[in-house]
Amino acid sequence: MLTIALSKGRLAEQAIELLENAGYDCTAAKDKSRKLILEDEKVGLRFIMAKPSDVPTYVEYGAADLGVVGKDTLLEEGRQLYEVADLGFGRCRMCVAGPVELMNGKLDLIPNKRIASKYPNITRAYFEGVKKESVEIIKLHGSIELAPLIGLADCIVDIVESGRTLKENGLDVIETVADISARVVVNRVSMKMKADEIRPMIDRIKEQVAKL
Amino acid sequence: MNGKFYTPDGFNDTLPEICAFKKETENKLRQLFLHHGYREIETPGFEYLDVYSKPGFVAEEQLYKMTDMKGRLLAARYDGTVPAARYAAGIKDFDPALLPLRLCYIENMYRFGGAGGGKQNEFTQAGVELMGASGSNADAEVIALSITTALEAGIEELQVSIGQVKLFDGIAKQLGLDEATCSKIKEAINAKDSVTIEKTADSLGLTKENKELLLMIPDATGTYDIIESFEKKVTDETALEALKNLREILDVLDEYDYLKYVSVDAGLLGSVDYYTGMIFKGYTYEVGFPIISGGRYDGSVGVFGREMECVGFSLSITLSITALMRQGLELEAPSVDVIIGYAEGCRSAAVKLAQQLREDGENVILDVSGKNAEELDEYADRAGICAAMYVEEEA
Repeated sequence: MLTIALSKGRLAEQAIELLENAGYDCTAAKDKSRKLILEDEKVGLRFIMAKPSDVPTYVEYGAADLGVVGKDTLLEEGRQLYEVADLGFGRCRMCVAGPVELMNGKLDLIPNKRIASKYPNITRAYFEGVKKESVEIIKLHGSIELAPLIGLADCIVDIVESGRTLKENGLDVIETVADISARVVVNRVSMKMKADEIRPMIDRIKEQVAKL
Repeated sequence: MNGKFYTPDGFNDTLPEICAFKKETENKLRQLFLHHGYREIETPGFEYLDVYSKPGFVAEEQLYKMTDMKGRLLAARYDGTVPAARYAAGIKDFDPALLPLRLCYIENMYRFGGAGGGKQNEFTQAGVELMGASGSNADAEVIALSITTALEAGIEELQVSIGQVKLFDGIAKQLGLDEATCSKIKEAINAKDSVTIEKTADSLGLTKENKELLLMIPDATGTYDIIESFEKKVTDETALEALKNLREILDVLDEYDYLKYVSVDAGLLGSVDYYTGMIFKGYTYEVGFPIISGGRYDGSVGVFGREMECVGFSLSITLSITALMRQGLELEAPSVDVIIGYAEGCRSAAVKLAQQLREDGENVILDVSGKNAEELDEYADRAGICAAMYVEEEA
């Protein structure tokens, strides 16, 4: 029996579709009820529907053998996991964004910037590790774009898909921190102890991804 | 007062039923190490912080820190290897002719966010250090002993993965990778992240063959077959040495009849630049973290001023017991065989009887609350004590 942690929402649906195409019967996972654990003993799969930011935790502790989760969550959580496949969907970018006036190097001129983000760890790693500067990070939980508009922060670090929300609020992407997409992660012990089940699954998933 | 005091985050009481099993396990492992010629040492619960932070083996934020009365920084015992290395480097009547040195320990370790105990900040490790011996025989002795140790602790479902950090170093040299690329690829290999490896290889413009060689590393697990497939592609001396080392280790483990527990994992590199040769981890079902961790770290004694090779392992007893319980092991608190009560004026006879029975090996309680014969029976029933004896006559 393999336990798979899925990120509730669109990512879970796409992951299930991919697994079905790879030849795994995921009827159990398509149960539209509000059940959090969806199990099919005959197929040998158990799905758990978790909040995306919790998926790496379930997998790191071995409560789930593998999981499907966005690279943004992986970067933010920094867990000890095997990251075995890039699924290609859920594509977006982790960006530094701010008022258009701060583009073309103007942002760098602000000392001790205040940066609002849902991703404080990614923000810290980027500004301290890559840009070598000290920043004040303000953790928010949503509508991050609001922060520079209202004067809470100079800029934000957030995921950007089309960039429309930014544009409509007079903001734009200033720098790209990382490219994001959905990844398959595996617990380090499960990879060894359940290799007979997990390795073929990874291979079949990779085959599907190559077709896309 | 009730319920007002808690244990700190990451710390737990060990309940009677678990404690009994744990101490029994510790004693078995102590005997096992002794039978292999290892001598147990106890190192202090605290070291000077420098002992841990100077060599750079440990991330400082994982250390429990405090000060002594003079304000000097101390760190709680984080592992068994570093204190053992400090001790070995400082032995006064050191006689090189008596090498190798075989040391073992069974101690509690303290780590912030430590994975060693499955996220417990305090956990018990049993481990050995074999110092002053290089070569595959020493490597294999330690791996074999780690397997015997896990079996002795009751772990039957065991998988041990063995890697060799020099294999990657050699391949990196063969491909002419610079340091920055090396550490990037190492990180990716540790995460089995073949996407990053592929991208990096493409950006370096490696040949198809060399790219394939790099991509082989994270996924290569097997035994002799893996060694052979690398031998076909590797030309660097260091890497070939590493492969020879792995082959010899497998040969010895086969003599122990332990091949069924092990596999070679070329992607096992360790997260710090601490290991200098083979490296291994042991896994079982039902816990998400390795229960065994070991390898060769030849620089560990040298940083304290005496050059000595070193290879060792530790097994987390805490994590092993968690695994066994999740795998279905049921533990019971130690039983009491007899409770003895006595009538007024008969205490002396009751004490003598209790002493006699304890000498015979029984677990005996002498009643201290003046129960009569009937109350004693009731109490024994309720407490699961096999027998109640009531002394009514002075001997």
